[in-house]
Amino acid sequence: MSESFEPKIVGFLCNWCSYAGADLAGTSRMSYPQNVRIIRVPCSGRVDPLFVVKTLIDGADGVMVLGCHPGDCHYQQGNYIAQRRYSIMHRLLEFSGLETDRLFVDWVSASEGKKFSEVVTSFTEKVRNIGPNPLRKKAESGIDVLEEVSS
Amino acid sequence: MTFIEDQIRQTARKYLENDEVSCVIGYERDTRGRSRPVFIESVDQVDRLVWGPDCNLNLASYLHERKHSPGKDQPIPKTAVVLRPCDTRAINLLINEQQVARENVRIIGVTCEGSEINGSLRVDCEFCQERVPPLYDDLILTELPVEVPESADPYADINEMDQWTPEERLAFWTSEFDRCIRCYACRQACPGCYCFECVAEKLDPHWVSIALEVPEKMFFHVMRAYHLAGRCVGCGACEAVCPMDIPLGKLNRKVAKEILELFDYRTGDSIETHPPLVCFNPNERLNL
Repeated sequence: MSESFEPKIVGFLCNWCSYAGADLAGTSRMSYPQNVRIIRVPCSGRVDPLFVVKTLIDGADGVMVLGCHPGDCHYQQGNYIAQRRYSIMHRLLEFSGLETDRLFVDWVSASEGKKFSEVVTSFTEKVRNIGPNPLRKKAESGIDVLEEVSS
Repeated sequence: MTFIEDQIRQTARKYLENDEVSCVIGYERDTRGRSRPVFIESVDQVDRLVWGPDCNLNLASYLHERKHSPGKDQPIPKTAVVLRPCDTRAINLLINEQQVARENVRIIGVTCEGSEINGSLRVDCEFCQERVPPLYDDLILTELPVEVPESADPYADINEMDQWTPEERLAFWTSEFDRCIRCYACRQACPGCYCFECVAEKLDPHWVSIALEVPEKMFFHVMRAYHLAGRCVGCGACEAVCPMDIPLGKLNRKVAKEILELFDYRTGDSIETHPPLVCFNPNERLNL
């Protein structure tokens, strides 16, 4: 692993809690790694686990899904459903050969700007340690989706 | 003609003579002696029906083609199907998901001695404790009582793979998926795969390219395993039809094992219970 490896991380953030939490981290001048590319979604229940698989297949080194704390969902039940989905998808991805730490699911509320910067920092560090996504090499032969998104 | 075949033919004859069903779905022998599905629509064809350990498909998947009315003012056709115990669990699932109406299906449930793929007993059958269908209209008995194997851990091979390093698992699946030709036979044979348009073939959004590369194949198989989470009955039809002999059942059984541990749920136990991924419990906190 070369020291210059900078992981590409895609974060799916719930509009009502985690995105606002990320906003708070920004307005409070907290620093967090710039490796994470944030996609705003209406709810963590909107993040079909296939988004995660697709993102990883297309070459992301890590994916994080952040939503409201259980009980706080703007749509009452979205994060409960997400919780069940990711408990299965996480184990399935692990079984099919990806490292456990490539997917991270957690709850971050709108007031937890500090927690947001902390989880992003620790997740980036974990992904940096496990190295590049093994599926990425193949994906680079096609269009680099992540480059397109972030440019 | 074996004892089982005799009963299957008698039952089929009864249904067709009484005009209770318009079709009986079972197995016949092809010209090379292999089993294949057959649709019997008249009484004089009943003697084509056979049974054997190589009858390893799930005929419940053919009900999807017969669930709609064939024309205006015509009733939905009634069908009788020859099913193993694991296959009848799929009927429970399909009734729960409102794909099949109970009154339109007659289940000819066969007491199962285990089915074979390429001449060797299926992994699931080695430990299977369920030899009598949980749901049937007619029960086909075997000549001798079926020996139920001693209970052992049915997920021993999955637990072993869980001990591997991620690199080993990736290497294993890469070599397996490398053979996949994306014929989608696994999907076609599956009673749970009845989407009108499959994610793998959708163009808008274009989920996955048609490239024959490992990431694309992995996407397809992981997607299928996820969509069958809590819905796979473990009938092994996907493995039976796979022309490249990919152990697809391992993915499904891994998910089934996790579903059993997390939600204490087994697919097809009853018509009432919903698969765990379509509902939720506000009081549970899962380890993500």
